[in-house]
Amino acid sequence: MTLLRQTYLLLSKDLLLELRRRDSLLTMFFFGTLLLFVFHFAFDLSPDRIAELAPALLWLAFLFTGTLGLAQLFQAERDNHCLDALLLSPLDRGALFLAKTGFNFVLMFVVELVVIPLFWILFNLSAWNLLPQLFLVTLLGTVGFCTLGTITAAITLRARAKELLLPLVLFPLMIPVILATIRCMESIMKTGGMTEAMPWLRLLIGFDVIFLTIGILIFDWVIES
Amino acid sequence: MGPWGFVSLAYGIVCAVIVLYWLLLKRRYRQAEAELNRLKSSEAVNSHDKG
Amino acid sequence: MAQSTAAVKKRKGVLGGLALLAIIAGLCWSLLIAPPDGYQGEVQRIMYLHLPSILTAYLSYFLVFIGSGMYLWKREKKDDLLAHAAAELGVLFTALTIVEGSIWGKPTWGVWWTWDARLTLTAILLLIYAGYLMLRSLIDDEQRAASAAAILGIIGFFDIPLIHMSVYWWRTLHQPPSILRPDKKPWENVHPDMLTALAISFVGFLLLYFYLLSLRYRVGEMRQEIKALRLERGV
Repeated sequence: MTLLRQTYLLLSKDLLLELRRRDSLLTMFFFGTLLLFVFHFAFDLSPDRIAELAPALLWLAFLFTGTLGLAQLFQAERDNHCLDALLLSPLDRGALFLAKTGFNFVLMFVVELVVIPLFWILFNLSAWNLLPQLFLVTLLGTVGFCTLGTITAAITLRARAKELLLPLVLFPLMIPVILATIRCMESIMKTGGMTEAMPWLRLLIGFDVIFLTIGILIFDWVIES
Repeated sequence: MGPWGFVSLAYGIVCAVIVLYWLLLKRRYRQAEAELNRLKSSEAVNSHDKG
Repeated sequence: MAQSTAAVKKRKGVLGGLALLAIIAGLCWSLLIAPPDGYQGEVQRIMYLHLPSILTAYLSYFLVFIGSGMYLWKREKKDDLLAHAAAELGVLFTALTIVEGSIWGKPTWGVWWTWDARLTLTAILLLIYAGYLMLRSLIDDEQRAASAAAILGIIGFFDIPLIHMSVYWWRTLHQPPSILRPDKKPWENVHPDMLTALAISFVGFLLLYFYLLSLRYRVGEMRQEIKALRLERGV
């Protein structure tokens, strides 16, 4: 079976499970929204400042929400010892990587789809026309987060205090994505376009491509029984 | 603090840290060596008895 | 067996001795012989520590990368030992770099910390490799810890250029021109004694680094042997 087909099978299995129980999705969604509320109380969000801070606040919310999702990523396999079964099968580990990355991506995608407009409503922002561009940049950033996140989740799987260790290891590595995504979004909100932020966009896409590739190649060594 | 104050602070901290780390390593080295010799010699004793 | 160990120990001793000589020579040149900088004054002497420190740290992380890659490929313990030892030393020298940079910054910029590109980058590097050490210490299974750490060693290394780019752009694009005085590069109109001081300091740091690395590596090796022997005995 080809890489893509295996990926598709694994991914659809995870998505089907999630569709039935919706544990991760709901938790992530509520957590993301909750963070927005907390931000409102924590920061002095006057109308003139909110447009400036919007990208950063959104991304902080997504980072923490995404981390929540990552913590759950291999939970199903661990609970039922499916991981061993998966490893025994002649499955391309790269497919497992893509499937897990894809799964977390889908979850975050759905959450972002709701949270960004929600943010716009809650904080009375008016630039609705910029949402598609902003969403695109967010998606690119999410890909970067999910690739590194999946690798990190896999390597911390057997560690003690893994819930604490995962963000500790992941966040410094994520800095290019954080910087690039937020700068791109700021540029969009300030100038309405991405021309000013093109270097950042290229960095972001480069990051995604590099770590997607590395992930596929390296995942063999990441998951071991 | 004058310029030489800052210089001595920097050089002082670096020296102190490196020396401390070196001493720490030496201690770990000695401990590991002692433990290793202990294990090896008891092995020699055991095989002696058996042989 | 005992003979080769004695020979190895003697070589380590020689290395350590050479390191000490180079360091003393370096100190002489850095503190006494080299003239103070025209702009920065005596404080510039901290650069004779700072530049070799950060270079040694980068060397260390490169060794972590090599060790990690080799370990994943060949699964030989010695590569993992190298990676671990190099990571520990890397964290040490990175921490020193940050402290030196901060102390240099106080008289130069007036503040103990600033989010300029260099300091920020060094701090991120420290976080990544401190995370590496934490990861190792939190995984109980030897082999899993080694594999997990090796993956991180490789990912971290590939991420470093990306982090470099992003932090430098962040600090130079869309930022008002900073009032920082640029460091003079060593090859631009610099007093020869300053170059000598820098060169000797480099050599001193390198020798010191390899001396410490050999010690740390041996400690790791011995611990391995101890574990293996204990396992044999069922102790």
